[in-house]
Parts: sequence; C-alpha cells; structure tokens
Amino acid sequence: MPLRNVPIRQKLMLIALVTTGGTLLFAGAALIFFNAERFRQEMKVDLTTLAQIVAQNSTAALSFRDRTAAAETLHALSARQPIVAAGLYEKNGRLLAGYQRRPGVKLPPRPARDGVDFGADGLVVFHPVELKGERIGTVYLRSDLSELTARIEVQALTVGTVFLASGLAALLLSSRLQRLVSRPILDLSQTARAVSERQDYSLRAAKRGGDELGQLVDAFNQMLGQIQQRDSALQEAKEELERRVEERTRELARRNEELHQSNKELDDFAYIASHDLKEPLRGIHNFSNFLLEDYADKLDDEGRSKLETLGRLSRRMETLIDSLLQFSRLGRVDLAMDRVDLNEIVAGVLDSLAITLQEEKVEVRIPKPLPKVRADRARVGEIFANLIVNAVKYNDKPQKRVEIGMKNGSLSAGSPVFYVRDNGIGIPEKHHDAVFRIFKRLHGRDKFGGGTGAGLTIVKKIVERHHGRIWLESSPGGGTTFYFTLQEET
Amino acid sequence: MALLRASQKALRLLLCAWGLATSAAAGAEVAASEYAVKAAFLYNFTKFVDWPPRVFTDERSPLKICVLGADPFGKALRSFMDEEVGGRRLQLLRVDTLNNPAACHVLFVSRSERDRLPQILAAVRGAPVLTVADTPEFLDDGGMVNFVLEGGKVRFEIDPEAAERSGIRISSKLLALARHVKGRP
Repeated sequence: MPLRNVPIRQKLMLIALVTTGGTLLFAGAALIFFNAERFRQEMKVDLTTLAQIVAQNSTAALSFRDRTAAAETLHALSARQPIVAAGLYEKNGRLLAGYQRRPGVKLPPRPARDGVDFGADGLVVFHPVELKGERIGTVYLRSDLSELTARIEVQALTVGTVFLASGLAALLLSSRLQRLVSRPILDLSQTARAVSERQDYSLRAAKRGGDELGQLVDAFNQMLGQIQQRDSALQEAKEELERRVEERTRELARRNEELHQSNKELDDFAYIASHDLKEPLRGIHNFSNFLLEDYADKLDDEGRSKLETLGRLSRRMETLIDSLLQFSRLGRVDLAMDRVDLNEIVAGVLDSLAITLQEEKVEVRIPKPLPKVRADRARVGEIFANLIVNAVKYNDKPQKRVEIGMKNGSLSAGSPVFYVRDNGIGIPEKHHDAVFRIFKRLHGRDKFGGGTGAGLTIVKKIVERHHGRIWLESSPGGGTTFYFTLQEET
Repeated sequence: MALLRASQKALRLLLCAWGLATSAAAGAEVAASEYAVKAAFLYNFTKFVDWPPRVFTDERSPLKICVLGADPFGKALRSFMDEEVGGRRLQLLRVDTLNNPAACHVLFVSRSERDRLPQILAAVRGAPVLTVADTPEFLDDGGMVNFVLEGGKVRFEIDPEAAERSGIRISSKLLALARHVKGRP
C-alpha cells in the first residue's frame, strides 16, 4: 500500500517511531563513536604513562646494560592483560630485553620514531628513556585492542537495549498520543460520511479542543448548520407550495362541482320548462285551428289572417322549444360510445339529405376515406348533418360545393381533426364566436331557409361531450370551414 | 608455562656460555675491556648518586672523579670526560696522596693501594665522597661500591649505609642492580 493511503492513525505512529528511532540511532551511534574515540585517547595516555613508568624503572638496567634487571622490569607488565609485547632498546638501538605475553609475538628489531599510535596489530608506543636529561634508550610497548572491542560491545549492547526499550515506549506512547490528532479527524470524517449517506444535516461533529482541528470541526458544523437551515427552508417552501396547490385544486373542484350543479339545474329547468310549455302551446295551436275551421264563415279576411299568424307563431314557438329540449337533453343523457366508421355515418347523413342535395345541385366531395373512431353514432351523425345542412343553406353560389375530410397527418399527430368545408357566403370574423350561441341568427328570420339558430349550439355541445373542440375559418364570400375533434387533444 | 620457563632457562644458560666463550677467546683484551666496562659503570654511578648540595660551589661546578693509585682505565675513563651529568661537567683527577680527599666526589681506589685501604678510607670518612674500588675486602673496610666479576661480567656490590653516613644517597635503582647490598640478605 503506498504511504499516502495508509490510515492517518498509522501515519502518526509511523512518524513518532521513525523520529524516535532515527534520533536514538543517531545519538547511539554518536555516543558509541565518541566514547570509542575518547577511550582510544585514554588508551594512548595510559600506555604512554605506562611506558613512562617502565622507562623510569629501566634507567639503571639500561645504564648498566643489565638484561636480567631489564627483563624483570618488563615482566612486571604481565599484570597488565592487554600488553602483548614490550621491549627495552639501548641508545644505539640494540634490543636489551623483551617481553612477550604469548610465544610467537615479534618485537621490532629496532625502535621506531617516538610516539604512540594505533597500528594494524594494536596500540604501539615508543617512549624515550632519559636519565639526567640524557637519552639512554627506548621503551617499546604494544597493547591489543581487546579492551576497546569489549567496551564498544558493551556500549553497543547498552545502546541497543535502550533503543529497543525506548522504541517500545515510543510505540506505546504514540499509540495513545496519536489519538489527540487522529480522533477529531476520524470523528469528522465519520460525521461527514454519515451526513452524506443519511442526508441528515442535523448531525454535528464532536469538538475536542480549540486547536486548528477544533476550528475545522467548528467550521464544518457551521456549514452543516447553514445547509440544515436551507434544507428546512426548502422543505417548508415545498410543503407550502403543495399545500397551496392542494387548496387551489380543492377550490377548483368545488367551483367545478358548483358549476356542474348549476349547469345541471339549468338543464333541468330548461327541460322542465320547455316540456311543460309544450302542452299549453299545443292547446293554443289546436284552438287557433279549431277557430279557423269552425268559425271561418264568421270571420272576415283580417280575422282569418290574424288567426293564421297566431298558428304560425305557435308552431314556430314549438320548434324553438323542441330545439331547446333537444339541447338540454344532450346535457342530461349519457353518450353511447362505440367504435364507429365515419364513412358509414357520413354516407347515412348524405342519404337522408339526398333530395335536398339534388334540388340544390350540391357537389359533395370526400377526398379520402375517413377513419374509425370511438364516438356516439347518432350524435356524430347529428354533427355532420347540421354542418352539411348549414353548408348548403348559407350558400348563394350557383354551383354549391361541400367537402368533408380529415386534416392531413392529423391521425398520426394525436387527435384527428375533421372538417366540413363549403364555398358559401362566409362569416365575418367578429361573429365567429357568436355563431355557436343558442338561437343566435346572423340573418333575417326567413332568409336562407330560416331555422331556430340552435344547430351549431347543439353541434358544439355534442363535440364538447366527446371532449373535443370546434372552431372555424371563414371570411365573407370566401366560404367557411368548420373543424372539430372527437376526443381529448393530447 | 613450565615449558616456557624451561626454554628461558635454557636461553639464559646459552647466553652465559656464549659470554664465557667470547671472554675466553678475547684473552688478552679481557683486562682492557673489563676496565672499559668499569669506566662506563663509574660514569653511570654518578647518575644514580645524589651528593649534598654543599659539596658544589655552584650549579655549574664540575663533578670530580678521582683515581687514587695506578690508573687501570687508560683512555677508557677519559673518553667520558666530555659528557655532562645533570648539567655538570666531569673532571678527572689523578691523585697519589690523599691531601684533600674531600675535594673529590667519586674516589676510585686502585688495586695498587690495596694495602693502604684502611688509611685511605679513614681519611675520607664523614666526607661526602663516593668510594669505589675493585678489591674484595673493600666494603668490609668501609668502602661504598665495589666491582666484582661474575661469570666474566662486571658487577658491583654496595654498602648504602656507608654512603649515607657520609651524606651520599644512592638510588634504589642502582641498589636493585647490585649483586650484593651490604646489610641485606
């Protein structure tokens, strides 16, 4: 695992251990090195001192060239373990006496320059022997390095023990102390993870002190607080919005219900009123007929003419009431929805209008076959019948034309749009809405064959009961096209 | 260890044998070389002996070595007279009669004066003069240092008390080399 991916806890301990270990190792090595160096200096001083003593004790033996006395003096060195060889040289360089700890140890044949120095085979000293200010010979001493080696070994052992012990102590201490730093970071990291996993902004990281980590925790917690505030504000706004939408929807539904209710009441009223009006109206009509038939000889021409007008007006009123009844019935009865073939329906309508169409010399065109749709067969027939009759009725052209069809591409793109087009007189734009109002007629009562003015109102009602829409394109003299759909537009 | 000692002993014996052989072969030169060694010894004695300061007039005054009687050293002793001991020049004096024996620091009494020894020693008694001779009865007569021959090698015997009585201190180092120290086992 690369060092940067090691957990922070282990990183901190590693830092402590490496620092402690490195420092100890360096200090230990320096200690051993400087101690060894000091001991070497001490060894030099010691050996020189020893050589000096030997020199002092050898003056007489050298002066009188007494080998035995010289050998005895040197032999005293056997008490000093590290001295492996010693020699006394006369002034002229001849060896007077020698000492070897072990046989086979060689003495230099002649003394070298005075001085003490470490050589390949130990510490060697050549020391002058002087008497009364005069040089009379040289002392040679050689010490092995066993003491130095032993000392270095002991120190290395000590340093090693200290190293291990303090390493252990550092491990224990750092494993406890690292928590000072790692705990807040781990806490922070855990809190951050919990916040993002649970989306819970009410969580807070625990603060353990006023250091930079404490400040970090504070900043983190402040940030969480701000997020929490915004989150709750957002939540509130959302709830408020939902509440309002619900309120409006309820309000709308209530109004719709009210509207529906009042519509129904109106329909009921219209039906009842017209139904109940028909009975006395028929009486008026009948009795005006009775008067004409039974009292014709007693009436003058003017009386007869007024009675005829009375009969005509009552008939007209009856037609109006019938239209009103038909219209109000449309709002009351349920549609008989079925899958119907529009070609069949249009053909039926044209059949029933065949005589009129022949008399008026109307050219009816159906450019493309019409589709099958879900609709109320009888009511859709009424739509086409009314529109075709209007197309023929409001037409002053010698060659009257009516085209029935479906707008191009309207099948694939949602609800199909059907149309009935004529080359009639057209309708000024300002009247485009008015034509659908009940009993609204744009022309004189007997112009264009008369009528109640309820046809388009009924058509509109049927279209709307199918959840469709009806509109028109027209201009005076340019003919009129009525468009409509028979289902909810998507 | 035993082997080592044995070999050392053997070596020493061998050296002694060699010494005897050379001295025998040298024959005629023995006397000459003997006195050459004795001259060197005499010179070296001065380094291991302390006189009371009053015997020198000053720091630089010479150290006088007197030879009483027939001089057996020839040139051997004279050759040391260029040396200095403790900053003092050596001065060689030949004396026949002992007019002022205290004027000497070292007095070598030749064998020629063997019969007069008691008188000579009596004359210097109490004076800080190191008396040296090579006659066997010298120490018994009150002398301080006496040369002896041991296995053809020149050695010496010392009576340190005699020296001390006359105010002379002989170094223990010198005593350590002596064949015999009077008053000690």
